Amino acid sequence: MSDMLQLLLHAFNILILAYFFLINAFYLLFIVLSLFGLFRHRELTRYVSFKEVFRLPLVKPISIIAPAHDEEKTIVESVRALLSLEYPVFEVIVVNDGSSDGTLDKLIRSFELERSRWVFRKVVAHQPVKGIYKSRAYPKLVVVDKVNGKKADALNAGLNISRYPLFCAVDSDSLLEKDALLKMVRPFLEDPDKTVAAGGIIRLANGCTVKGGQVLEVRLPRNTLARFQIIEYFRAFLGGRIGLGMLKSMLIVSGAFGLFRKDVALQCGGYRTGTIGEDMDLIVRMRRHLHNMKRPYEIRFIPDPICWTEAPETLRTLSRQRNRWHRGLLDTLLYNKVMLFNPRYGITGLFAMPFYFVFEMLGPFIELLGYIIFAVCIALGLLNHWFAVLFFLVAVVLGTLLSLLSLLLGEYSSERYPRLQDVLILTLYSLFENILYRQWLTFVRVIAFFDFYRGKEEWGAMHKKGFAQAG
Amino acid sequence: MSPSLILTLHALLFLLLFSVCLFGFIIIRRLVLERSQALFRRVYGQIEKDVLEAIYRLDPDFSLAVARKHKGRASVLTQVLLDFGDNIVGDGRDQLRIIFNHSVKDHCLRRLESRRTAKRLQGIRLFIIFFDPSENAFLFRLLDDKPIIKLAVITALSRFPSAETLSYIFTAFEKDTGFTVQSYFNVMFSLGDRIEQPVKTCMMRPLPVDKLGLFVELIGAIPLRNLAEEVVALAGHPDKEIRIRVARTLGKLLIPEAADTLVRLASDEAWEVKAQAVKSLGKLKNMGALDILTKSLFSPFWYVRYNAGHGLAEMGEEGLRRLRKVARQEEDKYARDMSEMVLDDLICPGEAA
Repeated sequence: MSDMLQLLLHAFNILILAYFFLINAFYLLFIVLSLFGLFRHRELTRYVSFKEVFRLPLVKPISIIAPAHDEEKTIVESVRALLSLEYPVFEVIVVNDGSSDGTLDKLIRSFELERSRWVFRKVVAHQPVKGIYKSRAYPKLVVVDKVNGKKADALNAGLNISRYPLFCAVDSDSLLEKDALLKMVRPFLEDPDKTVAAGGIIRLANGCTVKGGQVLEVRLPRNTLARFQIIEYFRAFLGGRIGLGMLKSMLIVSGAFGLFRKDVALQCGGYRTGTIGEDMDLIVRMRRHLHNMKRPYEIRFIPDPICWTEAPETLRTLSRQRNRWHRGLLDTLLYNKVMLFNPRYGITGLFAMPFYFVFEMLGPFIELLGYIIFAVCIALGLLNHWFAVLFFLVAVVLGTLLSLLSLLLGEYSSERYPRLQDVLILTLYSLFENILYRQWLTFVRVIAFFDFYRGKEEWGAMHKKGFAQAG
Repeated sequence: MSPSLILTLHALLFLLLFSVCLFGFIIIRRLVLERSQALFRRVYGQIEKDVLEAIYRLDPDFSLAVARKHKGRASVLTQVLLDFGDNIVGDGRDQLRIIFNHSVKDHCLRRLESRRTAKRLQGIRLFIIFFDPSENAFLFRLLDDKPIIKLAVITALSRFPSAETLSYIFTAFEKDTGFTVQSYFNVMFSLGDRIEQPVKTCMMRPLPVDKLGLFVELIGAIPLRNLAEEVVALAGHPDKEIRIRVARTLGKLLIPEAADTLVRLASDEAWEVKAQAVKSLGKLKNMGALDILTKSLFSPFWYVRYNAGHGLAEMGEEGLRRLRKVARQEEDKYARDMSEMVLDDLICPGEAA
């Protein structure tokens, strides 16, 4: 029995070690690719004035769709920021998704809205619209008041009401930099037939000085959790998505800021209302649809258009957010499981989907299993104590190294923090991130797995301070 | 010590050392960058002062002296010339050209030979600003370079539109494929009506749909009214995208004779063509199109109804009268709602789709 247990533990150890080496090898690969991608992007755009895009006669108009649910604290500032974007022709569609607070009233008062007799095509289904409002003072603004149906449903309503061939899905609690659309539209101008979606960088506004809907001064937040998340975002966007984009394997364009071709999104049936990971779900279904149609396409990640968002600053809110993200990931991967290891879907089926399945979906389980087996082996005396300590340190230092590499990518891009002491602080946090915070996140994601199987569909309230108070 | 322990220890030491070096690199890079940026700013300020004086004095000898004085600071001087070159015209630019020719031109030529794309691009950018038509041949050689370099050269050539440069631009356009095709639009757009003849000649030859579409769009954007006939001839093109562009371009050219073609396109089998045609008919304000616009208000397609409604609104009193009439009828609620919305929109205007 003891031999059997030892054999089993040994097999598990090998599995976990293999997982550990593979995941870190992939992350290193992505970072190296990102470095190349970043350099290439910098070279190509160094002598390009994005203001010139503004004057191009062929530039495509964009509908910005911003779903809002109980966002009375940030909605006015966010909409002002959206209306002040630099882009030749665009409209801003704010979809009030059955808010129970004063979101709609604030919008009506602040933007002098009046009820309009707007009629629209119902190409994709969504909950009933109670009213559409327009403003004499802000002709670009359309506010849709509808029955609550969650974010995907609100985006579908926005899609139906939008008039332009490109749409930009943004979170109404996010702030776009003034030239973000000009930068983001570039691939759609260069290759209008192939480019179907593009994503940009999401940064955290906690700690920054925000005025008039724009980030004026970039500073680190004082909140510990927000600082950990800054490192995570660096890794995810600079270290991960640029690299995945270069491998044509990007499966997520962040729901906080993404630009899409409307006709392709509508051909896929718009956003799937049954999911809470609507951003990833749309991209995966777009890939599936375009592969099925045998149409060549590109989904691009542009490393410089920036969208600022507010990170959760309490464990409770953060765990809700991560729980939701993980349930969204599970739902999308399982809904599109036909693509997994399917050569018909090219690199998406053979690499991207399996990568997300093994390392993102099952990752928390394998990691948790690793901690448990580690503890069991030590308790049973099957593992040398020195080896255990050294291996743990290797894991911590490797994690820190990956974060440092992402910080290096930040140094080469426009995403760096200006003060030297910020680099020191972020380095320290990237070291401590691997102790307790990482394990806690693993636990949260494992819980999300069970919540998903229990059929939990809650979005989870996100209590935000508003940009002025964040930090 | 067991081999696995030794291996782990070595891995830890390696990773630790690598991390410390990386951290050190980030910090040192920051410090060096901050220092070099401060130095750059200081030198930039000195050169800027001299260049401004050269522009003010308009004295070639003084400009020559400035060029000689700052020849050794090629990278900063290049940046100053790039910044000033885009904004200064006339005699001032001649002084800048003197400074360029006697200071960084050789440096710039070396950059054009560089293996690094970024350096070649920067070299070309300077050539674009201080381009001397006698150096055409030198730039033509770069037309076989990477697409991005080629495009930069084309942009440089477009600043001096002679028959020869136009011929090079259009030949390059016909040969080129891929993402740069779209970028030619901007180059050609900046050339205005000078490209009328080359476009006409090109359109006589068989062209792929994307390039033909680009020409049609270009004719409307500039606009090149003398080529309206060529556009009208494409109204029966089998490709839907071309017909959409024809309808859009005819709306931009605002030629009354195009109304018949647009009326025909307003009954096209593709709703996208119909939508564009009714929009253009509205812009033409051709009273003969009132019936087809009113009929289009009853189309099953939202965009056709929307554009027809706005088209009628642009027609003046008679168009508004028809809109009000449709808004009062109850047989087709889609047409009624759209008319109401357009009438409402006139009070609370938005941008036309």
